[in-house]
Amino acid sequence: MSKNTLSTDFRKVDVDELDEEKYRDDPETSEASNEADQVARREQEVKRLTQSSNNMEALKVCLEDPPVSTKDKALKERNFNVVLDVLTRFRAADVEKAVKSLSSEQVDVLMKYIYRGFASPTENSCGILLSWHDKAVTAGGLGSIVRVLTDRKSV
Amino acid sequence: MRRLFVKSQRRPKMSATLKPYLSAVRASLTAAMCLENFESQVVERHNKPEVEVKSSKELLLTPVTVSRNEKERILIESSINSIRVSIAIKQADEIEKILCKKFMRFMMQRAEHFFILRRKPIEGYDISFLITNFHTEQMYKHKLVDFVIQFMEEIDKEISEMKISLNARARIVAEEFLKNF
Repeated sequence: MSKNTLSTDFRKVDVDELDEEKYRDDPETSEASNEADQVARREQEVKRLTQSSNNMEALKVCLEDPPVSTKDKALKERNFNVVLDVLTRFRAADVEKAVKSLSSEQVDVLMKYIYRGFASPTENSCGILLSWHDKAVTAGGLGSIVRVLTDRKSV
Repeated sequence: MRRLFVKSQRRPKMSATLKPYLSAVRASLTAAMCLENFESQVVERHNKPEVEVKSSKELLLTPVTVSRNEKERILIESSINSIRVSIAIKQADEIEKILCKKFMRFMMQRAEHFFILRRKPIEGYDISFLITNFHTEQMYKHKLVDFVIQFMEEIDKEISEMKISLNARARIVAEEFLKNF
């Protein structure tokens, strides 16, 4: 029964991987091409709206269907840059009115984008993001922050 | 005199972003600090801060950052039984850098007196706090949040005060030294 063996490979098998109860993230659906289209469409739509300085409508377009199911970092980055551009177009005085006109789902998405913006700070984005954050907390409460913390789907 | 004037001019601009920054940090910390007792899933009768050991993905929450500018930011990593708060402090020049480094080192060597201070900052940040469910059970949650906020307020003040006294001392030393010539 006890036969000595020199092989130690079995020690490297990760037995925890085979545990049936081990937690795995939900497999992400890959609708990459679909989302890429969506981001491109949004980019144009936002461009059109910002040129006619209709910031409020542009913000609403931004917050619709965020690309959460794709894993493509570049696509998310591109989408985020469009959103950040819109967010920085607002003057601090208009932020409160803009947040008030959003639904609670939209506030949650906005919160995700705000934290995304904080994660990669640039010179002129932080100040306005802080006032967006302040107003979004007033509108959505701590719940909207908790939903950012617990959601696995990043923007 | 000129120095004083420059300083007083700068101050309103600084505090203009400090207040929203601190209130954003306060809201994020309050939201993140929902901790409960949770025993290790790997070792029996152990109880480890999950944010440090990262034993399973389902126990961790998305880490969030709040930043005031590129240099000053705070990272909040949360998990089921612990949160880790890391602060990057403003360092405008070499003197501030070295003062900050020495001051943080001084405090982290005495980490056990601060209860929630981590002995080492995580990479890219100057100081880290590790708050576990045991801390939130022993202390009031809002007071813990207040402590972190107050710490952030004080540390900037402290470092700029130290810088001023250091410069004053250097000036006196130089004067004394050059008297001989």
